[in-house]
Amino acid sequence: MIVAELKPFDEIRQMLQGYKKVMVLGCGTCVTVSMTGGERQVNLLSSAIRMAGKLEGNDLVVGEKTILRQCDPEFIDQITEEAVKYEAILSLACGAGVQGVAEKLGNACVLPAMNTTFIGLTDGKGAWVEVCSACGNCILHETGGICPVTRCAKGLMNGPCGGSQAGLCEISRENPCVWQLIYMRIGKPGLVRLIQKTAGERKMPAHPRRMVREDLIPKRQPERE
Amino acid sequence: MNAAWSPPCQVACPISTDVRGYVSAIAGGDAEEAIRIIRRVNPLPSVCGRICTRLCEKACRRAQVDKPLSIRALKRFAADQTSGIKFVEEPGESFIERIAVVGSGPAGLTAAHDLALFGYKVTIFEAQDLLGGMLSEGIPEYRLPKKLVKAEIDNILSLGIEAKTGISLGRDFTIEELLKDYHAVFLAIGNQRSLLPKCGGNDLPGVISGVEFLKSVCRGQIPHLGKKVLVVGGGHTAIDAARTCRRVGCSDVTIIYRRTLEEMPAGQEEVEDAEREGVRMMYLISPVEFIGKGKIERVRLVKMRLGEPDASGRRRPFEIENSCFELEADTVILAIGYVPDAEVLAQNGLNISNKGTVRVEDDTGITNVRGVFAAGDVVTGPLSVIEAMASGRRVAAAIHHYFRKTEGKSEKTHGTLQPLSEGVLTLINKSERQEMPTIPVEERIHSFAEVDLGFTQEQACREAMRCLNCGAGASVADNCAACLTCVRICPYGIPVAGGELAEIDISQCQACGICAAECPASAIHLGIESNEDVRAETGRIIEFARQETPDLLVIGFYCRYHSPVGPPFDQEEVYWIGKWCLGRLNESHLIYPFELGADGVVLDMCDKDECRFKDGVRRTKEYIKRARKILKETGFGDRIDFISEDSYFSVFGEKIGALGINPLRTGKKVQA
Repeated sequence: MIVAELKPFDEIRQMLQGYKKVMVLGCGTCVTVSMTGGERQVNLLSSAIRMAGKLEGNDLVVGEKTILRQCDPEFIDQITEEAVKYEAILSLACGAGVQGVAEKLGNACVLPAMNTTFIGLTDGKGAWVEVCSACGNCILHETGGICPVTRCAKGLMNGPCGGSQAGLCEISRENPCVWQLIYMRIGKPGLVRLIQKTAGERKMPAHPRRMVREDLIPKRQPERE
Repeated sequence: MNAAWSPPCQVACPISTDVRGYVSAIAGGDAEEAIRIIRRVNPLPSVCGRICTRLCEKACRRAQVDKPLSIRALKRFAADQTSGIKFVEEPGESFIERIAVVGSGPAGLTAAHDLALFGYKVTIFEAQDLLGGMLSEGIPEYRLPKKLVKAEIDNILSLGIEAKTGISLGRDFTIEELLKDYHAVFLAIGNQRSLLPKCGGNDLPGVISGVEFLKSVCRGQIPHLGKKVLVVGGGHTAIDAARTCRRVGCSDVTIIYRRTLEEMPAGQEEVEDAEREGVRMMYLISPVEFIGKGKIERVRLVKMRLGEPDASGRRRPFEIENSCFELEADTVILAIGYVPDAEVLAQNGLNISNKGTVRVEDDTGITNVRGVFAAGDVVTGPLSVIEAMASGRRVAAAIHHYFRKTEGKSEKTHGTLQPLSEGVLTLINKSERQEMPTIPVEERIHSFAEVDLGFTQEQACREAMRCLNCGAGASVADNCAACLTCVRICPYGIPVAGGELAEIDISQCQACGICAAECPASAIHLGIESNEDVRAETGRIIEFARQETPDLLVIGFYCRYHSPVGPPFDQEEVYWIGKWCLGRLNESHLIYPFELGADGVVLDMCDKDECRFKDGVRRTKEYIKRARKILKETGFGDRIDFISEDSYFSVFGEKIGALGINPLRTGKKVQA
């Protein structure tokens, strides 16, 4: 899932300077799962914004809404009518969601309440870790299901560096050395083969990427009410 | 309260009382709300609070943990506490049909009450001088004070019901005559004839019927019994007769029953009470012959053994050969069963079963005579009060349908809750069932004063808190994002990852609310109290508090399980809100008071090890941390704490004093 963190409250406050009517818009998918952008967070952040506003003598009108996904135009349609009543939309979605809403609502002022951080996994104990960089060139079948592109702090593709100590990374001792993990999983011969094959041949993606499925576009658009 | 999942107690109750609802109201100290919930289905709460056979308690899942809730005693508490309050009910409509209710026992009274509320004109016909049937003349005063029965009957009559007493079917009128003046007749005349054991000497003077004996004592006529009394039977009447004998001076009272305590229709508690009062119990004994010259002198008895279960499900007794023996007796009281007066019923054209009861189509009580309905003991043989009331209620609905062709309400139920699992059982704290205070045994046998004294306020509260809130736990709504936070956070390990959403087994959920507080999609709803309910209550309290214009306004949340009798300490500026464990309050709930103008929030709760729900304290501490952060970021300062009475002044008082009152309350602007 995509993991995002709420921006510091002060930064959100700065962004909202000058607005009197704000809609706080949650996203019901990835960021709900990572506990930062769901309905409950919308409710909480709205309270905080109202309270801070009142303290400054600024009686903000804060609307609260959560849609299932901010990255799909059909879901955004569900709030377009209401959105016009507000001067700004504070989006609690990943960067894609914020842009999706901004795109769909045209010239509305859409503000990001979150910093989108990574594509990650949860350990089920309150931690989320980055495991994929969306590089567009997956080699997990060769690396024992462990991504060196993302999980090596130096992005090394040719085995561990000298900073791998006792299985930990020299850059942050909290992180395991990913090459050590790969070695443990695929063994020495596998590792040798892998390094021979992958060293020096990484293609980095050219942004922005696009995926087009012409087979999914109907020849004639059906009329919708 | 969301009653989608009926708890086992409610399912077991013949009139489907919302037990969980009223028990929860008592736990919250609101006896008036409790009695209102009870009265929705029960016009005789004082009666049922004393003598109900408590099918609810047999179904109570607390029994899996320790002992079932003392539900009947709680009902009595609610009724006693509110005895001075008049609850007025009024029919919504008014119909021209007149209905005769023959018999004023629990079935007749309940039907009359319901029919009057439907809007019919009801007249009760009662053969005795007193209304109430067995309630007024069968159950002894020490178990059911007559003034309470009278008060509840008067309340029912106040719906505009007419009552004619001392007028008996068969002797004074016939059903045919009634049908000339009334559009329908409800027959609930109960059982009048005592069954007699098949043995010689039944007709000897000194061999008397249990019900007749109890009735005459109720009327103040105490028959001469002598010293030694033998009571035959194992039902409530047998026990009542024996305990009454002790109170009118019989020194040697023995109950003989042909099965064992286990099969006895009377409850174990009643038997224990009788034994405490000096009644001797003899099991697996049956009379063979009553012997005496001119009056009863001796009883020949035989020992029994139990064989396979019979049609009633109870093990069938057999005589043991050559085991006869004799006991002396001055009086024998027979209480082995009762049947209706079949002769009178047949003379009135009713179809009678071979047991002598009225044949009806089904539980709508329709008889072979058009316009005549029957229910209660006259149809089924002896029933408990609550079952008789339920039969009266069903017939009242059937009569309403007969006239108005109304559709019966089909109440959708989700099914039955499963027993608590072994894993969950080990995590539920045990708690002692409150003992009913009684008058001392020495005093009991010298008077007919009520034996049970009723719970004190504190006892009622503590007992009500034992309720496990079955079926009022968490349900997952469609907007669940399947983040599985609930799976990870539940102290009982109940939620699981389902096919699409998280799934929570309502049979096992303990309704702690910890998952609902943390759910990021706000997709978990507690049957017992929603997040919105919590906010609404906070809103009401602060509005009330602000009207009092206090110098300081502090909201105190306290754990009701920890402080059952009310707020943990008195402090002028603290407005307390009790919660069933604070673990169900998240940081939203904690900062909300500030949005409404509160100056501070304090939380009083138990130690970690005491927490009813294991993890509530730890959760609350987390939420306090988060709430603090928000207060700091928004500019309110640290106005929230976890507090005890001792630390209130030294820590919190000073802190709030330094910060001053919430600027949102003064309306003054604060320069950041």
